[in-house]
Amino acid sequence: MSTALLARKDFEDAIRSRMIWAVMGVFVFLMGIIAAGAATDNLSEAEPTEVIGVVANIGGLLLIPIMALLVGYMAIVGERQSGSLRVLFGLSHSRWDVFAGKLLSRLGVIAVASVVACLVAIVIAVGLFDDVPIRTFLGFSVLTILLGMAFTAIAVGVSAIASSRMQAMAGAIGSYVVFTLVWHPAVTAFHYLVEGNLPGLEAPEWYFFLLSLNPLEAYRAVSSELAGQFIWPMVGWQTMVEDIPEETLEEPNALLLSNRVSGDLPFYLSDWFAAVVLLAWIVVPLAIGYWRFERADLN
Amino acid sequence: MTAIETTDLTKRYGEETALESLELTVDDGEVFGFLGPNGAGKTTTIDLLLDFIRPTAGSATVLGYDTHDETDAVRDRVGILPDGFDLWERSSGYRHLEFALESKNGTESPEALLERVGLDLKDAERPVGDYSKGMAQRLAMAMALVGDPDLLILDEPSSGLDPHGIRTFQEIIREEAADGTTVFFSSHILGQVAAVCDRVGILDDGELVTVDTIAGLRERSGVGSSLVVDVAGEPSTEGTALTEIDGVTEVTADDGRLRVTYADPAAKALAIHRLVESGPPIVDFETEEATLEDLFSAFTGVDGESVREQGAVADEPKASQKTVADGGVSADTDADEEEEEVVR
Repeated sequence: MSTALLARKDFEDAIRSRMIWAVMGVFVFLMGIIAAGAATDNLSEAEPTEVIGVVANIGGLLLIPIMALLVGYMAIVGERQSGSLRVLFGLSHSRWDVFAGKLLSRLGVIAVASVVACLVAIVIAVGLFDDVPIRTFLGFSVLTILLGMAFTAIAVGVSAIASSRMQAMAGAIGSYVVFTLVWHPAVTAFHYLVEGNLPGLEAPEWYFFLLSLNPLEAYRAVSSELAGQFIWPMVGWQTMVEDIPEETLEEPNALLLSNRVSGDLPFYLSDWFAAVVLLAWIVVPLAIGYWRFERADLN
Repeated sequence: MTAIETTDLTKRYGEETALESLELTVDDGEVFGFLGPNGAGKTTTIDLLLDFIRPTAGSATVLGYDTHDETDAVRDRVGILPDGFDLWERSSGYRHLEFALESKNGTESPEALLERVGLDLKDAERPVGDYSKGMAQRLAMAMALVGDPDLLILDEPSSGLDPHGIRTFQEIIREEAADGTTVFFSSHILGQVAAVCDRVGILDDGELVTVDTIAGLRERSGVGSSLVVDVAGEPSTEGTALTEIDGVTEVTADDGRLRVTYADPAAKALAIHRLVESGPPIVDFETEEATLEDLFSAFTGVDGESVREQGAVADEPKASQKTVADGGVSADTDADEEEEEVVR
């Protein structure tokens, strides 16, 4: 009851934020330009699922995580720093009510944004192609929403632990930097230590498993499989730290997981396991965040 | 029943002690003033009572409920006006009240609450981001009153308020008290605490120095008020038996004047009466009231400046000169210390 009340109130406030609408506007604008450009091309060779590649790249790997971090990082520490947390407690809300209410509200905001992003993808696909594999698109949509939620959960978890806005901002930016810049080279370095060489085009399954524990990588890898084309991450570490032949840059589909692992994909590299990874990124940061928030001195 | 009871309540941050073994009892239905300079530990105490922070040692109950184990029960029955808060600036004042009413299952009408705290309905419809500090303070007071709390905790309620707003708040406090609500009034301004409170606790540097009524504080502090009488001829205390009057603490004669110091104001009329009957002829007389600042410094050893209302006249020219020379910001105690430095 109390949680729902707080969630509703916070959602009201959050959707009045111009920042959210600005990021959404940028996304829709970019997608519009790309769609208009594509509409004038010869699409007879193209597959409708290629739309997924574009949306996953701009929306999934860049705008949705950033928007989720922006929406979430001030959720709790903002109230704590401004002193309004005392007002909320004075109105007989508990720490759990505040934590859960804020989380639900911010998850709601990101769910709306992710659904819009996916609807844009579906509308463009239906507009440009006759025969659209809707199930693939729905699967992609679920994955995108999960990704948005994972980053919201990370941001809210950080926000519950941080005692100042600067700390929360550092945590939010830091998490994105780790996932895009640090994770892949770190796993590659581990591979080098274990195997004595850099991973080539074919690499052990555990190498890909460690990579896919990164929520952005899990999302990217499965989206690639759904789209049937290799989706480049924000930073193409494959070409920098892995020992892969030059030609693959011409034919990046060789980098698809299914082409780099011999035989069938093991379960921990399958699409549903990516969903499990994303769920873990929702549950774990929240659990840690609430655990710390519950014990913190809030002044 | 007791509204607030703390036992050995202590809060430390590392080496620093914010509150030391606080033993405080606030009775049901009283208006209790919690007085101390900024940084004395008043907000720390309130934060402990509402479980915003956890004690290093000791415990506390509010309305009979343990502050940590029964936080929900405490918060359901308490209204709080915190110190230094922002509200949700994109949302209107009216919406804030609706939220407070829903949160506390309050049955009051928002309009009635607005009127009590002196906010226009028109202002209430504007987003709170446009409010002045005083308006936000009034709105927060209205939110604190929602649901008719059994205990009202006010932390520096007058900050940002104009004199009219301060009077409005004092009326509200009296109305609530008449209605049986316990009021815990925390402030660094003596005059305001004295204006509404039944009893006062003085907190200084994390320690509770004393708890008493204002009159009791006056009496025990020894800083009585005095009656200063100009007499014709050489003043003498002979034959008047002034010191035998109940409530008179000291009689001195100096510089052509007779000074009668008393703790009980009723004593001064009797003193005048005896002087007229048997003393030297009276030329003129005046009374010098002990200020609340004097009272405060008597108990804490701290200069009264730190608890004086801002803008009140600093009537000690020497002190104000020193503060000006110091950049006009430091409290007198600092100025004194720095003067010593110079002398050395």
